[in-house]
Amino acid sequence: MEAVDLDVRRQVYFSIVAQGRPPTTAETSGALDLPEREIAAAYRRLHDAHALVLFPGTTDVWMANPFCFAPTPHRVTAGGRTWTGTCAWDALGIPAALHGDGRIASACACCGDPLSLAVEDGALVEGADVVVHFLVAARRWWDDIGFT
Amino acid sequence: MVFLRSEEHLARWLEANGWEPGATLSASTLNELARSWWWTRLDPGWRPRSTAESQAILDDLGLAGDFWRLT
Repeated sequence: MEAVDLDVRRQVYFSIVAQGRPPTTAETSGALDLPEREIAAAYRRLHDAHALVLFPGTTDVWMANPFCFAPTPHRVTAGGRTWTGTCAWDALGIPAALHGDGRIASACACCGDPLSLAVEDGALVEGADVVVHFLVAARRWWDDIGFT
Repeated sequence: MVFLRSEEHLARWLEANGWEPGATLSASTLNELARSWWWTRLDPGWRPRSTAESQAILDDLGLAGDFWRLT
C-alpha cells in the first residue's frame, strides 16, 4: 500500500473517531493539504484494497470497518458515541477498535426481537446466550461484504 | 453475519430463506474474534495484515476447516 494511501486512511479513521462520520474527499484534501483529485484516487485505491468501502459509483465512505455509515440493525454505543456496525462481527469490533466498553442494541435476524449485548473490559458481560451465524465462507466474504 | 436469539431461531431463519447453514458461533467467541481482528484498526501505524496473519487469528480461535479458509 502506498504511503499516501496509508496517510489518507489514517486521516479518514481519525476523522471518524473525532466527528462520528467519515470525511468527504474535500475535507481530507484540506486536512492533508493535497489536491482533492489525489484524495479521491486514494479513496478508490483503498476501496480496491478492502481498506475502505465506498458507496457504488461515489467517493462517499460506506464502511470504514468496523464502522458503517448506512443503516443496519446493529447500533453500538462506545467511546461516547452511538455507531452503526455493518454486521454482528463489526458491531463487537467497534468497542474493540476503540479499546473500550460498549453496548450493542441489535435484533434477532429471524424474529426481529431486540437483542442486547455488552462488553466490559474486553469481556462479553451481556448477551452470551446470543447465537451468531456466518452464511458465507471466509474466502467469499469480499464477494459482497454487505452480505456475509 | 447476524445475531439470533437461539439455535431454534437460526433453524427457522435458514428454512424461511431457503439458505444452507454456514457456521455458528457463540457471541462470546465472536467477541474474542472481534478483539483479535479489530484491535489495531485505529493504530496510527496500521498496515494491512497479510492473509497469513489474518488466517492465524482464525486458527488461534479454533476456527478451522474449509469454511474458515481465506484463500
